[in-house]
Amino acid sequence: MQAWRILGVASAFALALGLGSNKAHALGAPAGTVINNTAEVSYSVGTVNATASSNLVTVTVAEILDVTVTAQTPSVSVSAGDTQQAARYRVTNTGNGSETFRLVMNSTIAGDQFDPVPSATSIYFDSDATPGLSAGDTPYVVGSNDPVLNADGFVIVLVVNDIPAAVVDTNIGITRLTADARTGAGAPGTTFAGAGNGINGAVDAVVGTSGADSEADTSYLVTGVSLTANKTQTVVDQFGGVQPVPGARIDYSVVINVAGSGNATNAVFTDNIPANTTYVPGTLRLNTALLTDGVDTDAGDFTATTPAHVRVALGSLTTASGPQTVTFAVTIN
Amino acid sequence: MIKGLKIFGLAVIFAGSMIAPAAAQKPGQGCLVVKTVVETEQVVVNDKGEKTTKLVPVAKVVPGVQVIYTTTASNICKVPSDKVSINLPVPEHMTYVADSAVGPGSDIEFSVDGKTFAAADQLTVMENGAPRKARADEYRHVRWNFKTSFAPEGQGFGRFRAVLN
Repeated sequence: MQAWRILGVASAFALALGLGSNKAHALGAPAGTVINNTAEVSYSVGTVNATASSNLVTVTVAEILDVTVTAQTPSVSVSAGDTQQAARYRVTNTGNGSETFRLVMNSTIAGDQFDPVPSATSIYFDSDATPGLSAGDTPYVVGSNDPVLNADGFVIVLVVNDIPAAVVDTNIGITRLTADARTGAGAPGTTFAGAGNGINGAVDAVVGTSGADSEADTSYLVTGVSLTANKTQTVVDQFGGVQPVPGARIDYSVVINVAGSGNATNAVFTDNIPANTTYVPGTLRLNTALLTDGVDTDAGDFTATTPAHVRVALGSLTTASGPQTVTFAVTIN
Repeated sequence: MIKGLKIFGLAVIFAGSMIAPAAAQKPGQGCLVVKTVVETEQVVVNDKGEKTTKLVPVAKVVPGVQVIYTTTASNICKVPSDKVSINLPVPEHMTYVADSAVGPGSDIEFSVDGKTFAAADQLTVMENGAPRKARADEYRHVRWNFKTSFAPEGQGFGRFRAVLN
C-alpha cells in the first residue's frame, strides 16, 4: 500500500481580482474654494426704472477629513504554513482636499480562530499590475512614504501575513487595515484651525462623518485539502491460481480520496511500475474509462524509461469530486 | 476760462451723485439699499434649558453644511419703490434646498439659466427633446417679485437655503 498526501493546494488568489464596488467618493466642492454671491434688485420709482446690487457675501470651503478603507476580497484562501499571504485593500480619500494618510495593520483581532503573523514588512503599496504580493510592490514605511491622496484619490494596499503551521482546515484568522488622516482624526465636527489643505493655501480642516479614520477586515480562511490513496492488488497466475509466480498478472487498483474544504488544483497521480514486473499495455484506466498509453490528449500515459511509471492527471479535486480510481496491470518477470 | 468751467462742471456732477440718495428728494437710483448675508443655523440652549436655533454669520463651510442666504431691500427714499424684484443666484458648488425659499409679500420664481423665470410648478427644462418639470436641485436663481410697493422706510426680504456640495 502506498499513500500520497497533498496539502493545501489552495487557490489563494481566486478572488483576488474581484474588485469590490466602491461607492465612496469625495464630496464636491474642493477645500479652499471661495464662494461669492451678490443679489441684484430691480425696481421703479415713479416712471424711473432703477437697479441696485447688494454687498458681496463670501464663504470659503474648509477641508473635510474623510477616508474609506475597503477590503477588496472579504476572504483569502490559505493553507497552514503559507508565507506572505496578501490581503488587498483600497484606501480612498473621501474628503475634499489633498490629505496624507497613515496606515496601520493589526492581525490580533478578536473573534477568529487564529492570529495571522505579520510578515517582516507587513504593508505594501500594490505598485504593479500583478495580483498579490510581487517584487514590484513598494514597502510602506510609516511616516516615510505615507500616501498623499487628492480628493477622490485612492491607493491599493496589500497587508501581508504568514499563516501559522498549527492551523487546521476551516480556521479563520482576521487581519485589519486602518487609515487615518495625518491632519487629525476624532469626533465628526472636530476642527483643526488652519491645518487643512485648500486649493489656495491653508484652510480649516474639519473631521467628517468617517471620523477621518476607517478600517476594514479580511479573513484568511484555511482551506486545506488532503488527498489519500489506497492501493490494492489482485494476483492471478497462469495456472488459474493466485500465486505470484513469474508470468502471473497483478491488477492494481488505487482509490484516491479527497478530504478538506479546499480545492486540489492540478492533482496528478504517478505510480512507478514495481521492480521485476512489466506493465501490461492497454490496462491503464481512470474510473473504468480506458486511457491510452501514449502521451496524448487523454489524462493518462505510460512511460517506459526508468523508472517506468504510469501517470494520470486528475485535474482539480474537491470533496464533491468523489473518490478517483486508477487501475493498471503488470506481469511478474 | 474754458478750462475752469470744465472743472467746475465736473465738481457739480460729482457732488450731485453723492447727495442724491441721502437727500432722496426726487425719485431715481439709490432708493433701495440692498444687503445680503449668508448664515447658518446654530442650536443654542436658553436659560430655561430649551433648545432654540438662531442664525449666525458664517464664513467657512464644509461640504454637506446648509447655509441660508438672505437679501433685504430697504427703501431709504421718501417716495414708494414699486415693482421691487430681488434676484439672488444659487452660487456654484451649492444646491438649492427644495421649498426653502421664503419672501413675505412676494411671488417667488426660479430659473435654471438666469434668463427664464417661472413659479416652481411651471418651470421646465428640456430633456431628451421634451420638456419636464425642473427639479429644485436644478435651480440656479431665485427671484422674489414683491406684490406691493415698498413705502418710505419700508423693506422686504427674500431668503433661501442651500447645501454645499
